[in-house]
Amino acid sequence: MLQVRDLVKRYDGFTAVDHLSFDVYSGEVFGLLGPNGAGKTTTIRIVMDIFKPDEGSVSVLGHPPGLARERIGYLPEERGLYRNLKVIDVLVYLAELKGTPRAVAEQRARTWLERVDLAEWSEHKVRDLSRGMQQKLQFIACLVHDPELIILDEPFQGLDPVNVELIKQLLRELQREGKTIVLSAHQMNLVEALCDRIVLIHQGRAVLYGPLDEIKRRYAPRMVRVRTSASLPDMPGVMEVQRHADAYEITLQEIAPQELLRLLVERDIPVEAFEVSSPSLEEIFIAVVKEAAHA
Amino acid sequence: MHKVWIIARHEYAVNVRRLGFILMTVLVPLLGAMGLLVAAFFGGEATQFFEEHFAMEPKNVGLVDHLGNFTPILPKYQDRFRLFADEESGRAAMMAGEITTLLVIPEDYIATGRVIVYSKGSSFSAAVLEESSLVRAFFVDHLLRDRVDPLLRERLAVPIRPVVVSLAAEGRPQEGPLSTALNIIVPYILGILLIMTIFVSSGYLLRGVAEEKGDRIIEILLSSVTAWELMAGKVIGLGALGLTQVLIWLGAALGLGGGAVGLLGVAVTLLSRPEVFVLGLIYYLLGFLVYAVSMGAVGALGSTMHESQQLAGIFSLAAAIPLMLSGFLFSDPNMPLARVLSWFPLTAPTMMLIRLPMTEVPLIDIVGSIVMLILSIPAILWAGSKVFRMGLLMYGKRPTLTQVIRALREA
Repeated sequence: MLQVRDLVKRYDGFTAVDHLSFDVYSGEVFGLLGPNGAGKTTTIRIVMDIFKPDEGSVSVLGHPPGLARERIGYLPEERGLYRNLKVIDVLVYLAELKGTPRAVAEQRARTWLERVDLAEWSEHKVRDLSRGMQQKLQFIACLVHDPELIILDEPFQGLDPVNVELIKQLLRELQREGKTIVLSAHQMNLVEALCDRIVLIHQGRAVLYGPLDEIKRRYAPRMVRVRTSASLPDMPGVMEVQRHADAYEITLQEIAPQELLRLLVERDIPVEAFEVSSPSLEEIFIAVVKEAAHA
Repeated sequence: MHKVWIIARHEYAVNVRRLGFILMTVLVPLLGAMGLLVAAFFGGEATQFFEEHFAMEPKNVGLVDHLGNFTPILPKYQDRFRLFADEESGRAAMMAGEITTLLVIPEDYIATGRVIVYSKGSSFSAAVLEESSLVRAFFVDHLLRDRVDPLLRERLAVPIRPVVVSLAAEGRPQEGPLSTALNIIVPYILGILLIMTIFVSSGYLLRGVAEEKGDRIIEILLSSVTAWELMAGKVIGLGALGLTQVLIWLGAALGLGGGAVGLLGVAVTLLSRPEVFVLGLIYYLLGFLVYAVSMGAVGALGSTMHESQQLAGIFSLAAAIPLMLSGFLFSDPNMPLARVLSWFPLTAPTMMLIRLPMTEVPLIDIVGSIVMLILSIPAILWAGSKVFRMGLLMYGKRPTLTQVIRALREA
């Protein structure tokens, strides 16, 4: 669906994207993650043929960038709409530019407006809409032409929690419909629940790439949280035990969490709660960046 | 090309509803109609009023005649000139406001031509006297009375009454004041019309681009179309808008009363010299392309509407240069500077539109200027769309000259 190979982009001696490579497969939600300034937007703009790369190659839907514009839905980071036009006119115009016939575009636009509860605003000017409504409108504006590949650059930026949930819901529905979605975000916690695979970018380079669950497994800190009223005895394979108000945080060194649970049961420790800690993407990112800095 | 058409249609539909466009389209014919109404109401009275109040001919002139040739004053001059026996009584009359100027003709006037002019305030009235055909006629009539035939005297006072005869393309003479009026009015009307519509339409392009930058919609557009398609669509849509305005104005002029158009001279020239009309249309379209693309590209570099307008002002100035030179062009439409500017793409459209109705423009100038424009338009479009794309994506800051050059080099 999307192939990026050894991509390089420099601005005035500063390397924004540094030999970046990744693939996006059909039907998946792919996360392009990293802090602000990591090179995500530059990469997306090259994919969208808005910027030209200095080195490397990109293939979008089997074509060089720019040849399959009609099959891509794009929500840029810098986004807005014609404030002085009617809602329906904006959606129809943008869909027409993507090659959708006018009548079809209008019909689809009305369906989408209903889907996000904006149907009654279709004949109003965009400037009359609240900020939240405009954000929903921006989102559906990139979907009216029914694209195969949807690229969303920081889609949750500036959204209130209600709209974040709405967009997440829509993204799940789109994935079920077979769309391929590329999500770029710096707030990793917002997208990690949605993504199948990710590439984590730092200073233009990929520092982590692959299926999300595999990455999480690879970087799991082997930490277990146990709530009990009893005192914990020394146990083999345990590196560190930290006591908090109502629980223990146990760092394992050589044994698996299941082994620890067996040891606790064998020693008649009354376990009220047992939880294997899962690291957040952000924690993994920080750990990886620190590792890279020390290496 | 289909996308260019969609953009053109969108730009036309959005801008034709702008209040500024509607006002300008309606106001120009309205002002024309008002002008005609005023002219019809006041007609000859207005002419008389202007002659009485603004004519530079002197009135109430006092005269002290030491030579003797001016005494008595001929009857036809008695309402404007009055004799005084000596300078003292003349000066007293002037102080009392009975006369505005006092002329003293000394005894040696014939030998020296010296005339003493008493005037209140500035020396302006003396200059007026020197240039006045009435005063000249007054002197000639009195100096030659009883010596020369009255007809000859009159001819000596006003030796030339010019009747301008313009030669049409085929050498057929076009006589009369209408021909003179055509040579003066038509170029101006066509030139100003061109400049007005070009800059009104280009102004919409500039404003549209600035608004799209401000509304952060540019990147969405550039993900659907190329910068070239976006610019071409805008230029075509707004060019059609400008043409609509011109057609409405011409239609209104025709509707305002057939003969009135003849008064302006536009229709007569266009009908009597159809090649001027066809060439005018060609220069209008080529001119619009050159200015709109240049202004669109440079306008996109601005970070605010105001800054964009300042940058685009360079092109307004270039287009207006031929109008500034029109004083010289009236005397010689084929002067070397006019010919040079006719070959330069930024001045060629307005320069040729002014020159064409005035004279027979050398064929080499017509062919050369059209070829130069046709050759330069793709280059301007190419460079314009590159600069346009770079400018569009820079929010809140203006690109440096180095960045502009790099954008052109990378393209």
